Amino acid sequence: MNPAAPSIIDPKPLSRTGAQLVIDALEHEGVSHVFGYPGGAIMPVYDALTASSLKHILVRHEQAAALAADAWARVTGAPGVCIATSGPGATNLVTGLANAFMDCVPIVAITGQVATPLMGTDAFQEIDTFGITLPVVKHSWLVRDAADIPDIFAEAFRFARSGRPGPVLIDLPKDVTQANGVTPGAFACRTAARAVFPLDATALAAADRLIASARRPVLYFGGGIALGRAENALRAFFQRSRIPAVATLKGLGALPTDWPGYLGMLGMHGTRAANTAVNDCDLLICVGARFDDRATGRLDSFAANARVIHIDGDAAEISKLRRADVALAGDVAAILSALSGQTGPIEGWQRTCAENAERWAFRYDAPGSGIYAPALLKEISEAAGDKFIATCDVGQHQMWVAQHCRFSRPQAHLTSAGLGTMGYGLPAGIGAALAEPDATVVTISGDGSIMMNIQELATLRRYRIPLKIVLIDNAQLGMVRQWQELFYEENFSEVDLWDNPDFAELARAFGIEAFTLDRRADVPGAVDRLLSTRGPVLCHVRIDPRENVWPLVPPGKSNSDMMEA
Amino acid sequence: MTTQIHIDFLPAEGAVVRLIGLVERRGYELEAMNYMPAIGSHRLSVTVRARPGLRRIETLKAQIARVYGVTSVNDVSKSARLEAAS
Repeated sequence: MNPAAPSIIDPKPLSRTGAQLVIDALEHEGVSHVFGYPGGAIMPVYDALTASSLKHILVRHEQAAALAADAWARVTGAPGVCIATSGPGATNLVTGLANAFMDCVPIVAITGQVATPLMGTDAFQEIDTFGITLPVVKHSWLVRDAADIPDIFAEAFRFARSGRPGPVLIDLPKDVTQANGVTPGAFACRTAARAVFPLDATALAAADRLIASARRPVLYFGGGIALGRAENALRAFFQRSRIPAVATLKGLGALPTDWPGYLGMLGMHGTRAANTAVNDCDLLICVGARFDDRATGRLDSFAANARVIHIDGDAAEISKLRRADVALAGDVAAILSALSGQTGPIEGWQRTCAENAERWAFRYDAPGSGIYAPALLKEISEAAGDKFIATCDVGQHQMWVAQHCRFSRPQAHLTSAGLGTMGYGLPAGIGAALAEPDATVVTISGDGSIMMNIQELATLRRYRIPLKIVLIDNAQLGMVRQWQELFYEENFSEVDLWDNPDFAELARAFGIEAFTLDRRADVPGAVDRLLSTRGPVLCHVRIDPRENVWPLVPPGKSNSDMMEA
Repeated sequence: MTTQIHIDFLPAEGAVVRLIGLVERRGYELEAMNYMPAIGSHRLSVTVRARPGLRRIETLKAQIARVYGVTSVNDVSKSARLEAAS
């Protein structure tokens, strides 16, 4: 065990089975919901589950369990828990674990395994779960002694959320969970307090000097704000410095969309105002972001004339891709709070950025009478208000959500940013709606993505989860089609989804209320129906298949080379 | 150019595979390795060469350092070079 393991309290004197210890450990960690799917090797745990306080959400595919747990974690800040059996159950979790790994989401995944004497014999439903998941988890444990279960679970929950959060996995051989008469040692206490990083006074002073001497500073923030629960510190710094700000895809919501001085998302589908500001800046204050290629475009031309202050919770990110002139690793909120925010004469720069934002603001007066998805999404988010949570899939609609929806908090925008997992949206909507029952959770999906986890409509129906689904249907794999149009000389290859089912009929077959929207005049009524329906509802939106996402920085190009419609 | 790194870590199932996998996934070719189990703490010594791309050995060291159970990561090439030069 890690020598930093927390202190010991709450002894459990009763003799238990291994599976009962698993349930005890989850209850001890304060877990209320788990997402999973039973099967042979995990059956002892499911047997013990029935006598527990845990609410188990039976999904219809293990990938959905991991993705729902991911969303649960993003909304609550606590690790999400998913359970699967050995073999295909475990392999089906892998995409969800990779998704959480890329986006730094704390998940505790529990998998069944064949009994230890059978391991290595190619037994039925035996697979090396530990080995397969090594690259996509922060850590994993293969439990060989049931008496270790309490300590391993306590450590797993602690490690999943410590430092740079991420998924961990506990593989449980069946003979371990079936073990009888286990006398546990004692439960470790609830997860230890977050590590306290000492502030680097020298680096802080250097950062203050750079900020004070800059004439064209830009604040560039990302998902590290939500991970560090640092949005209040970011907002305070932004308000006292008035430095123009841009967000990554994962940073959306950390500053409210409509705050003056906030220029929107940067990068491949960022706003022209955001990309121009970064291009022209002389100081880039990077907070909880990692110079991801989708944000930077061609790296050597990204903020090419700027000094860089890099603030991050993970020291490994600093100077990984862009050398930092001042490095500040540690608690992002504490660092932001310690910065003075005293700027030099930047009023002209602020004015330029504001004028650019106004000049290049998105327009919603698209011609025609069909549905213009950006306007629809904007309207839904504004109507839903501060309780709005969007869970997206991947593709054109994902970028439209990022560009056009109103977000007032980081938890309002759940998206598969790093891995780009088609199929994330629906299970994530389930996880988010259960995590925050008062929220208005809207899954925005595409006709390609929704089919990746369409079976989860059954989960919605089963638990009457009041998720609102907006299915943007262009009968295409739209983003791939767009790239084929623009970068592959219109050689359209395997993107035509002409044979989609009737999605409204399909939803009804699952017992979900559904309707179709294809005329702009019907938008107000549709938005009202969507948001006022008490249970789950699907709004099937037909759009023009030729619609593209603009602006766009072509792959490998500088962010200053933006293409427009 | 190669770099030799000493990684000290607490013994745990799969630890060596986890560390080697990390080094390779992060874009380094493994030229040599030596594993020295000992009571209490184990040491893996790896000699690595960066594959083409943006790769800093300091970043790799920090990525290794955040692996569960790793207690220290040292670039011993530097001290070896200094010793050779003195």
